[in-house]
Amino acid sequence: MDNPFLAVAPPEPDPFIAGTPRREPLTFTGRGREYFGIWIVNLVLSVVTLGIYSAWAKVRRLQYFHRNTSLAGSAFDYHGDPRAILKGRIIGLVLLLAYNLSFDVSLWLGIVTLLLLAIVMPRLLMRSLRFRARNTSWRGLRFGFDGGLREAYSVFLLWPVLSVFTAYLLAPIWHQRLKTYQFRHARFGATRFAIQLRESSFYKIYGVALLVGMAAFLLALVATVGVVAAAGTLGEGRATPLMLGLAVVGLMWLLLALLVWPYVSARLQNLVWNNLTLGPHRFQSAVRVRTLYLITFTNLLATVFTLGLFMPFATIRLLRYRIESVTLLAGGPLDDFLAAPGQDVAATGEETADLFDVDIAL
Amino acid sequence: MSTSRSEAIPALYFDGRSARPHAAQLWLEGDVLRLEAADLSRSDPVMSLRVSEPMGRAPRLVSFPDGAHAEIRAHEQFARLLQQSGHVDRATVRFAFDARWVLASVGLLLLLVWAGGRWGLPWAAERVAPLVPRLAVEAMSTQALALIDERLLEPSTLDADVTARLAETLAARTDVPHRLYFRSGGPVGANAFALPDGALIVTDELVALAPDDEAVIAVLMHELGHVELRHGLRMMLQGSAVALIMTGYFGDVSNLLATAPTYIIQSGYSRDMEREADDYARRKLLAQGRSPAVLADMLERLASAHRDGGDGPSGWLSSHPDVAERVAALRERSAPR
Ligand SMILES: [Zn+2]
Repeated sequence: MDNPFLAVAPPEPDPFIAGTPRREPLTFTGRGREYFGIWIVNLVLSVVTLGIYSAWAKVRRLQYFHRNTSLAGSAFDYHGDPRAILKGRIIGLVLLLAYNLSFDVSLWLGIVTLLLLAIVMPRLLMRSLRFRARNTSWRGLRFGFDGGLREAYSVFLLWPVLSVFTAYLLAPIWHQRLKTYQFRHARFGATRFAIQLRESSFYKIYGVALLVGMAAFLLALVATVGVVAAAGTLGEGRATPLMLGLAVVGLMWLLLALLVWPYVSARLQNLVWNNLTLGPHRFQSAVRVRTLYLITFTNLLATVFTLGLFMPFATIRLLRYRIESVTLLAGGPLDDFLAAPGQDVAATGEETADLFDVDIAL
Repeated sequence: MSTSRSEAIPALYFDGRSARPHAAQLWLEGDVLRLEAADLSRSDPVMSLRVSEPMGRAPRLVSFPDGAHAEIRAHEQFARLLQQSGHVDRATVRFAFDARWVLASVGLLLLLVWAGGRWGLPWAAERVAPLVPRLAVEAMSTQALALIDERLLEPSTLDADVTARLAETLAARTDVPHRLYFRSGGPVGANAFALPDGALIVTDELVALAPDDEAVIAVLMHELGHVELRHGLRMMLQGSAVALIMTGYFGDVSNLLATAPTYIIQSGYSRDMEREADDYARRKLLAQGRSPAVLADMLERLASAHRDGGDGPSGWLSSHPDVAERVAALRERSAPR
């Protein structure tokens, strides 16, 4: 019989007696060419339906990513209900419009809108964390998120306000609290994740990022002034302070995306995964900053020169590297996970998407 | 329609209660899917099962009604089994993995974007413009005027009696609610703008360029046409829509909406809008017993002033690329019919 699974499936000798964890790397089988098809069809249908299809598009995209990601021979899956996502997008758009327009109408309306947002947003963000976890599965078991409302207000309201009022000096602590909240209350089936993150690690990452960012700003400033000066001596038009400012800001965003983002995201991914445990299992993430710089830079270049058509290929390249950098260090058999009690899959399935399900991208 | 036990497909079966994989075999018996593993077996009517879309090398998933599922990586064998069961993939799936459809989609997308920008957006903006609350129009216009004053124009140096006389004349000649502002043009030279709430801005240079008051009034009639026909508001709505779509597509640049007022200055009106505003001015001037040829003369003067001055593209010039054509149209129909 040629069942390829018989070779890897149990019964197998228990390798855990020796105490050395078994390495189970995450594998990713997505391909740029395949994803391009999904991406373009999604895009066309989203345009034709004036954006309504984008919720269904998101589900298909996440399903493609999840199902092409495997651990120990089994794929992940995504079960999100597009209707909940559409609802989340409409809510998000309304909130964004309200926030942007209310202050133009009157100061008081602006303040009332802001207060309303402050009350509503933490709850919505908590629910969307729950939505995303609950709709992800591996081997038929759903992930879950049990974070509470009180902590949501602390993480999504108190800490952001504190960090703004301290000129972002406390922002690294905010991020530490956010990541802790996100993972400490997460579980796979009935098994809880645990995480230990030190504030000092975040300060270290953001300290370096700040230095790189300042260098990027200076570089942008010098480059823009140079270009403008050169153009000025050629007698080509006059540069207004507005144009100059816009050029500096634009270039700075580009440099930030190229120089700061790869560093921060590499370090953050490693920090979070290397300090995360799931029952007896640990994780290891080995994203290299250098490699991420290379991928980001070439992706941007190719995307610009293909007028955006390279974007799906870029997404796959980046995703493959980030996913395949993660390894699960199994401290026991992976077959032992159980579903959360009273939470069988059928009952939480798509058919019963409850009224308060929303998904708002962070 | 059946496959036989000998053609069974390898699969991993999960019961939905534990993460334990069961190496299983799948095959079809009539309308029933049979599954067998070392320690379990089940038969389910094909109708009760859900099959995941094909997604490249990703496994296909068969979901059972009780929350169990089977993971299948033997794609060719499984495709044959599906064919026998009468299962048909959704159209969107077939499109996404067929090169011809993908190419056609790229073409269709470009066509849609082009047609949407050319006709769809202006059409929608024209319909939405009357629905925008007066309060919002005023707020945006105030913001735009502040922005113009801050970055573009200087206070006027005209005599107070000149400005008062022009304001009085204009007020007597139109019912459209408006406010007249005079500013020194600086980089934009001889120019005039209209904001959606009826604020009209005239530069000192334009007043100096005009041979008499009537020439200024003729230009202002054209600007009032932009106000009355809601051209500024429509351009702004279109600009905001594009910004919103770009934001959605390229990720978030959170304050894009706040930049909306700048569209009034940055992007001129469309040619059609200019023609409509000319036509509006022509009809009003004729009704008042004046000659639209005055506006035509003024157009020519403005065009040549900007040409000679060598000023960069600005309001009247950039949005009035076909001056000769417009002058001709105004002169041709400058007599009452
Ligand atoms: Zn005009």
